[in-house]
Amino acid sequence: MRKLLYLMLVMMVAACSSIDCPVDNVVETRYTIMDNEGDKLTLSDSITVWSTRANGKDTILLNRGIDIDHFALQISNSHPEDILFFSFDKTTVEGNDTTRFHRQDTVWVKKDDYPSFESVDCSAVFFHTLTGVRYTHNYIDSIVINNPSVTYDPYTVHFYFYPKTDF
Amino acid sequence: MIHIRFISTSIRRLIFSLLFLMAVTSASAQVKFFSFQKDSIPTFRGFAVSFDLVGAGLMQFTDNGQYEGALRVNLHDEWFPILEAGLGKADHNDDVTHIHYSTSAPYFRIGIDKNMLKEKHGPYRLYVGLRYAFTSYKVDISRPDFLDPVWKWETSYGIKDLTCKYHWIEAVVGVDAKVFGPLHLGWSFRYKRRIAHSEGNLERTWYVPGFGLYGDTRLGGTFNVIVDI
Repeated sequence: MRKLLYLMLVMMVAACSSIDCPVDNVVETRYTIMDNEGDKLTLSDSITVWSTRANGKDTILLNRGIDIDHFALQISNSHPEDILFFSFDKTTVEGNDTTRFHRQDTVWVKKDDYPSFESVDCSAVFFHTLTGVRYTHNYIDSIVINNPSVTYDPYTVHFYFYPKTDF
Repeated sequence: MIHIRFISTSIRRLIFSLLFLMAVTSASAQVKFFSFQKDSIPTFRGFAVSFDLVGAGLMQFTDNGQYEGALRVNLHDEWFPILEAGLGKADHNDDVTHIHYSTSAPYFRIGIDKNMLKEKHGPYRLYVGLRYAFTSYKVDISRPDFLDPVWKWETSYGIKDLTCKYHWIEAVVGVDAKVFGPLHLGWSFRYKRRIAHSEGNLERTWYVPGFGLYGDTRLGGTFNVIVDI
């Protein structure tokens, strides 16, 4: 029994460890495009979204999304308000006539940021609570916050995006 | 935010376990289990103090661990009410994520062990027991500023003095052997279950004083130097 005592001491000190970081580890805002009836709408116009970096240069967040009814955009780690520029484009060719459609809107997303912690082995990330959204109305009819909590959850729709329908 | 769900689940499991125990054990056997053997040995057999070498070893050789001692009452070499107290610490710097995690706080466990050997008054003991444990601790988490991956702004990340509370129970199996005079050596294996916690808006804290690293395992152990007093 005494030998067993000493053996157990060695076994207990030699403990193992594991890394337990989430697989879904992207923090994004998710938009679903809706029509006035509240149904999903697939846009035939292409959507491009960009923002401006700290150095004043633009960075693309969504590049020419075509025939989409939903999209996801990055959210800044710790900044009270993200400013997003939406561009909507469509080119129509009828015979020899080419018609180019272009509208641009600016969207301001206000939020509270708080650090999330899973383990020392997992990268530092922030979760967010959306507190407000405002926008220009060139193409956008309205944007409504559906769920203000922005986390790892890949299934949460944060915004309903309503485009104008009178084009 | 105390997670009532965990409390109710644990209480439900405990009740079912007790009901099961009662169903499979006859009433007379239960009485026998909870009563003392009849012999000439007095009921009160003194106190013992102990010190855990595993936690102290972890404290010396890793970045987390605990100093832990215990005071045990010996009732007829059969029942051993016990109070365990310790100081748990973690001070971890991760080389990959650059996250620094630190906490230091006391913790307490109270419970009872039963000597399961037939020969109760011999030099060896085989324990089974239960503990209720509690700690209240503050956590600091930080890392050097880093650039937002998209916007390239400087980002500060940190949590300072987050007050947390943790309640858990432990099922214990252990052995104890008299080595020389009043000196015993013993080890215990422990299965831990969290029953309630409050950790601010964090999913979980990484190290809980007395409980250990969350997520690694629910198993733990001690290796004790015990002195009868």
